[in-house]
Amino acid sequence: MQIEVLPSSNHTALHLALTGELDALTAPKLYENLNRLLQQHPNIRKIILNCRRLTYLSSAGAGILLMSIDNLSPKGISLELQEVLPEVYNILDLLGLTKLMPVTHA
Amino acid sequence: MLKVSLQFGASTENLPIIRHFVQTHLRPKVSSSVLLNQITVAIEELCANSILHGNAEDPKKQLRLDLRLQGDTLHIYLYDPAPPYDLHAYPAEPTLLRAGTDRPGGFGIYLIRRLIDKIDVRRRRGGSSVYHMVKHLSHESSP
Repeated sequence: MQIEVLPSSNHTALHLALTGELDALTAPKLYENLNRLLQQHPNIRKIILNCRRLTYLSSAGAGILLMSIDNLSPKGISLELQEVLPEVYNILDLLGLTKLMPVTHA
Repeated sequence: MLKVSLQFGASTENLPIIRHFVQTHLRPKVSSSVLLNQITVAIEELCANSILHGNAEDPKKQLRLDLRLQGDTLHIYLYDPAPPYDLHAYPAEPTLLRAGTDRPGGFGIYLIRRLIDKIDVRRRRGGSSVYHMVKHLSHESSP
């Protein structure tokens, strides 16, 4: 899985693009990268993950997203998923994550 | 009738191989990409549990995944050298799973229950186990 930092005109929002598959093998990498980026950008209030090229999500990936919500919320930082593919959206929906954060379809 | 097998070591490095195996053989049989993904996720969750928890990511431990398609009924068998775990010893609702979560994952069994029509496990001679899941391909799971 690849994580790309996208250009943003808003200094309080961090835009990232995810490419590939988020599973038990790759989920820890996303979590480490989010934590590293948070340290590099201490003023951000929103993280937007563009998921147009995220083709697979397992429970381990969903668990990382949930952990991120739990860690970010007390700091006043929100997490949002954009352009989620139908297959990935279905899994997020089954787990109830679409009720915990803004998630938009591709 | 489809009848295929994959043998793999207990390593998360093999999860992409398992997904590729499942999708390669089932894509011609499953018209919906969402349903194909649901089956793939359920199988990967089962395999990941055995890899991570049953076999402590020891790649020398060998597991076997069998797919059998009879009509529109898919039978999935996972032969695991580790003893079986209790499939019913997990909370039924994802909100309960969320409480106390301090590591990646934790939703696997819940997802399997939602995505698969039937699952059971039996202990084999020597202490190993075989998990059996059934999915009717006419049945797409929805929230």
